[in-house]
Amino acid sequence: MTSVGTAPAIPLFDLRLDPSDLAAVEQTLRSGWLTMGPRVEAFEAEFAAHLGARHALCVSSCTAALHLAYLAAGVGPGDEVIVPSITFAATANAALYCGATPVFADIVGPHDPGIDPEHVAALIGPRTKAVCAVHFAGYPAAVDVLAPLCARHGIALIEDVAHAPSATLDGRRLGTFGLAGAFSFFSNKILSCGEGGLVCTDDDRVAELARRLRSQGMTSGTWSRHNGATDTYDASGLGFNYRLDEPRAALLHSRFARLADDIAHRRRIVHRYRILLSGVDGLIVPYRDSDIATSSCYVMPVLVADPSRQGPLRRFLRAERSVQTSLFYPAVHEFSAFEARLGAQSLPRSQRWARSELTIPLYPHLTEAEQDRVVEAIAEGLRR
Amino acid sequence: MSWTVPLTDVVVTEDDIAAVLACYEAGWLTMGPRTVAFEAALARFCGTRHAVAVSSGTAALHLACRAAGIGPGDEVIVPSLTFLATAHAPRYCGAHTVLCDSTSPTDMNLSVADVEARITPRTAAVIAVHFCGYAADVAALRELCDDRGLVLIEDMAQAIGARYADGGICGSAGELACLSFFSKKQLSVGEGGAVVTGSDASAAAVASLRSHAMTSGTWDRHRGHEESYDVVDLGYNFRIDEPRAALGLARIGRLAAEIEARRTAVGWYRERLADLERVALLWDDEAVGRSSHFAFPIRTDSHELRVALRAGLAQRGIQTTRYPALHVLGEYAGHAAGGGLDVAETLADRHVCLPLWAQIDEPTVERVCDAVRQVVASGPLPGTPTGPKAEADTC
Repeated sequence: MTSVGTAPAIPLFDLRLDPSDLAAVEQTLRSGWLTMGPRVEAFEAEFAAHLGARHALCVSSCTAALHLAYLAAGVGPGDEVIVPSITFAATANAALYCGATPVFADIVGPHDPGIDPEHVAALIGPRTKAVCAVHFAGYPAAVDVLAPLCARHGIALIEDVAHAPSATLDGRRLGTFGLAGAFSFFSNKILSCGEGGLVCTDDDRVAELARRLRSQGMTSGTWSRHNGATDTYDASGLGFNYRLDEPRAALLHSRFARLADDIAHRRRIVHRYRILLSGVDGLIVPYRDSDIATSSCYVMPVLVADPSRQGPLRRFLRAERSVQTSLFYPAVHEFSAFEARLGAQSLPRSQRWARSELTIPLYPHLTEAEQDRVVEAIAEGLRR
Repeated sequence: MSWTVPLTDVVVTEDDIAAVLACYEAGWLTMGPRTVAFEAALARFCGTRHAVAVSSGTAALHLACRAAGIGPGDEVIVPSLTFLATAHAPRYCGAHTVLCDSTSPTDMNLSVADVEARITPRTAAVIAVHFCGYAADVAALRELCDDRGLVLIEDMAQAIGARYADGGICGSAGELACLSFFSKKQLSVGEGGAVVTGSDASAAAVASLRSHAMTSGTWDRHRGHEESYDVVDLGYNFRIDEPRAALGLARIGRLAAEIEARRTAVGWYRERLADLERVALLWDDEAVGRSSHFAFPIRTDSHELRVALRAGLAQRGIQTTRYPALHVLGEYAGHAAGGGLDVAETLADRHVCLPLWAQIDEPTVERVCDAVRQVVASGPLPGTPTGPKAEADTC
């Protein structure tokens, strides 16, 4: 991690903060109170109200949020959690942290990389404790189908909402369809603070567990001891340090005011991308135009029709056009660590996706000229 | 409740603020050049070959245990008189935590003799905690661990900048040592930690496991070094981020001077309290000279006086704290097999940590000491011992 190499002319994502964001952080630093306190509480209240959820609890990352959500669902040694393979490793790793086994379900297909509810139904067995649905790129997975399916089997639905703050399905915020939702505030996310995450739930028991275990299993926090509410603590349960601190909460609170505007910009850019890319041969653009309005439009995935073009196209964009792309995602079940633990598995639609996807630049201030340059570069790369 | 004298205070300077704001303006928040620079500064400060920054001291302990190969079936010996995270860390790896006693009524650190007595064929490691900033007896622990083939991990969450009895700076006696940058610590950034080590392999393991054991990071991919990644082990998100690294980097330049300021304040306390009846100072002047002074604990003569002292100081607007012995907490009641944790239990029950931070001034220390004298003068006499209770305190 040295500074050699070059930053791309058009990066995958680009974070710009407003002077009001910096002022919020500055004020927090000047206060001298850095560990969880009033700013964390204020952001939690605001985010819970936005979601229409009873509880929102800030944590150190979405990985931490998923871990606490699975623990709250009762996931433990010997259990299984059904997860998609087209996701970040954390969705599956969190099951391993609980001593459980991740069981991978395939995705719906090239136009919808959400977890396939029919495959989920076929995988549910006596050891299944939970299903985790990832709302990929900001578009809803089929939680309207999965919620009743999980309820019938008496298992928990957990939503990985890392990509999809503020997105909706049937007018309801994603993250509120299951037992708990796990959000990410990682630096390249729609609402970011560096490292951070959040658990939302309507269930008081889940909230109590998450609140206790995010801070070592302690029954009181530093802030409540500082403000005199409590004087010492007991410990119950194997907890963690999954706390967020005040400067990050202040930044989130400040940036949250512009979230709707940021997402509106993203939607306009995605809409324009779809028009421009519709004329490019050899490319598949997932989702439908009508999906944009309720998506948070976190990233812009496209697929090459011929998987052999994936690597060459990405290298051409980077080396010849200084356009950064990413791969969302390598299939988790094909990672060395997962193959070593669980053996080789076949998930044809997920594997096809992982071998043909590239994620192209998307951020609220991406200009039309930059977009044109990205699309022209893709078209040219595919013609070669 | 608003304290007139808080337990501790975090003073953030204009330089600190400028460093953090410059980072946010640059717009790169996940681990990158500032984290690399902070790690280099930490390694220099601790005199170690490597420093790997992580999300917390707890994460540092967890990853140190993983890097040391701790796993199911292993036992790890840790002191009962410590913060919860020390004891949690082996359990995250599937190992069993065995609690050990403190050295003596004037030395809160783990007893080397008791560590030795608790070694079994399953013991894989010892975590030595440098409590309140005072270095444990690492020379004896190092010898014991070498003799018995055990890994020695240092929990120096409270002891950055402390010195061992031989004068060496903390961080190099164990295979790995763990730092915390929690907001109350000598070097604070909010939430953060680091592992320091002389081992290339251990540093590489910690760096990999802190970010899901991915073979490349976001920064590498941004700079065009890598197109994709593999996941090669069970890792975590224990990353620090750039704003916190920037804050740590800005503050570490003042750390040595701030530790000296803490030592001076501890001197003011010790002068004033040395002759006070019913209250004893911990450690001695030689140890004070080597400590990095995270906290200033004193020992009362009884449970009753400790309860009265904390309550009396709170009434006067003075915040204090106290560390329960872990085995009296619900979660660790089952980890005290065989008992024999009496020194830790009594110390935990009778100690009180008085306000301490780098900028505390002599009049404030004087005021706290006056309050201590007043409460002790009218304090309850030791009655029939009622036994320690973690939740018995009242404000």
